[in-house]
Amino acid sequence: MRLTLRCRVTLSFGFGLLVVTSVLAFATWNLASGSMLRQREASATRQAEVNARLVERSPGLDALLTGPDGAILVLGPAGPRTAGRKIDPARLPTGLVEHSPATARITVDGLPMLVVSRPLADGAVYVELFGLQQLERTFAFLAAVLVAGTIGSALLGAVLGSWASKRALKPLTELNCAAGRIAGGDLHARLPVQADPDLAALAAKFNSTAQALERRALRDARFASDVSHELRSPLTTMVNAGAVLRRRREDLPGTAGTALELLTSEVDRFARMVVDLLEISRADQTDDPVPEEIALDAVVRNVVATRAPVRLELQSVVVLGDRRRLDRVLTNLLDNAERHAGGAVLVSVRVTGSRVRLEVEDAGPGVPGRMREEIFERFARGGGGDGTGSGLGLALVREHVHRLGGRVWVEDRFPHGSRFVVEMVLRSSHG
Amino acid sequence: MCVRVLLVEDDERIRQALSLALSDEGFPVDEAGSGEEALHRLETESFDVVLVDLTLPGVDGLEVVRTLRSRGDLPIIVVSARADACDTIAGLEAGADDYVTKPLMASVLAARIRALLRRRGPGREAVRIGELEIRPQEGLVHRAGERVHLTRTEFRLLLELAGAGGRIVTREQLLQKVWGYDYFGDTRLLDVHIRRLRRKIEANPDDPEVVLTVRGTGYRIRS
Repeated sequence: MRLTLRCRVTLSFGFGLLVVTSVLAFATWNLASGSMLRQREASATRQAEVNARLVERSPGLDALLTGPDGAILVLGPAGPRTAGRKIDPARLPTGLVEHSPATARITVDGLPMLVVSRPLADGAVYVELFGLQQLERTFAFLAAVLVAGTIGSALLGAVLGSWASKRALKPLTELNCAAGRIAGGDLHARLPVQADPDLAALAAKFNSTAQALERRALRDARFASDVSHELRSPLTTMVNAGAVLRRRREDLPGTAGTALELLTSEVDRFARMVVDLLEISRADQTDDPVPEEIALDAVVRNVVATRAPVRLELQSVVVLGDRRRLDRVLTNLLDNAERHAGGAVLVSVRVTGSRVRLEVEDAGPGVPGRMREEIFERFARGGGGDGTGSGLGLALVREHVHRLGGRVWVEDRFPHGSRFVVEMVLRSSHG
Repeated sequence: MCVRVLLVEDDERIRQALSLALSDEGFPVDEAGSGEEALHRLETESFDVVLVDLTLPGVDGLEVVRTLRSRGDLPIIVVSARADACDTIAGLEAGADDYVTKPLMASVLAARIRALLRRRGPGREAVRIGELEIRPQEGLVHRAGERVHLTRTEFRLLLELAGAGGRIVTREQLLQKVWGYDYFGDTRLLDVHIRRLRRKIEANPDDPEVVLTVRGTGYRIRS
């Protein structure tokens, strides 16, 4: 798995800062600890020199002890004299006594000690041990501070890296967001103008692409609107001239009359087809009004009231949608039943769980299994019918139902016929 | 009854075909080929109903509708080749009483004209709703003693609502009674008219107190 860019930037910032601060910490440690040790040695040496001179004058050693861990040995021919912590002279480094004055660091009983030896006038050797615990504690503290600082700075680096990459990638996030909006159909989406010259070019290119896309979409929409206008106008002339002619059908007997009938009925069908076609091409545009609450049973009653009577079984339910679309759905389903199955025999509205089903049943020949998907395609003709349909009725039903957030299908009805089912989300029911 | 219809349409063939077909339906038609001509004729002659195409050269259809509406309550039907929601709403907002989309049958248009010109119901008593006084006989509406100018369609809409005496009137009933629509309850037609009506009779059209919306079904008058 590849790490994300942001993750990588974060890691490298953290790691980079870790390396730099460790080097610095290491150097600091060396310098500080070295210098502190040297200081301690210098002061211990000075002390030992003073003490050695005092020892030559007075024999008491206890008064000269400085710390609780310290010890003083005077190794002379008369035997060793000691004060403070008990130290076996044999355990002292040999060179220290033989080649005094000298300094060394040793460990006695697990405690770090600094040993300073000074020759005395009488051939004896003055040896003093200084406890280094204090210094060791300081070193431990220093080490802890340095390690903590190193880790802290690595973490800070990571945070900084994360923040910097977030900032640096912000235009990309915006780009992603804007591209998403365009993909979602919002062609007005643009990137804000970028001050950074590295990003300005990208933003400008993106925006010009989006603008070109929007312009093209507008041009397409205008073209569709122009076509719509150009088709509607002559059709208006044709259907109305046709209506005038049809009224005078008796004046045109025989062949001319038959031709007239053919012409006018085809013009009417053509007009219906164009209207349906324009409607279906518009159906995917988003100029829908805000969905409103609609009493579905009332819509059904209204549509059916203007047509041949049919049995109704209606529960009173409310759905959310566009009234015009619901009208078209039911009208087209009833038209379809009339054309292909001799008319609907039952229209029902019922609640099933959280959904509503609007069903239109007919007692016609039914729809064979392989045709059940196909009949909802544009210009799919299920055979039969009276040839007056536009071939778009059921396709429009599907478009409208889809826009209403539901689905539509056809199934068998017992004992014969078919049942068209429109299923939508229930808003509320009361009854 | 002789109804004078003026058809404003720049396409000569449509004009002729519609005139012929409307004459067959019993409505003799006068024709105007441009907005200017229509406005000029309407100044000098009287018509009962005007049919206006929205796309006219020069003074366009919307402008004609607006001008006519500012002159009075002459019934106007917009005849449009554009079926987009925004065009429809623009036409209705400009003051049209109804609209039809091409290609339209003269018989449909004739039904619309008849619905628009239908006489008011038989004499009803004056109705009072709060500050509002409706006198169906004279076709007058007063608000707090001051005359409110409603178009004929707005008046009929108000009368239908008032006649129900506070009961709900469904959208379909309104469309059927006021515009003579069979079905195809066109939400926009009713919505725009309700909006126009509220603008004239409500103290605050955004917070109506007289014409109340009943969600999902229709409207009712505050009783």
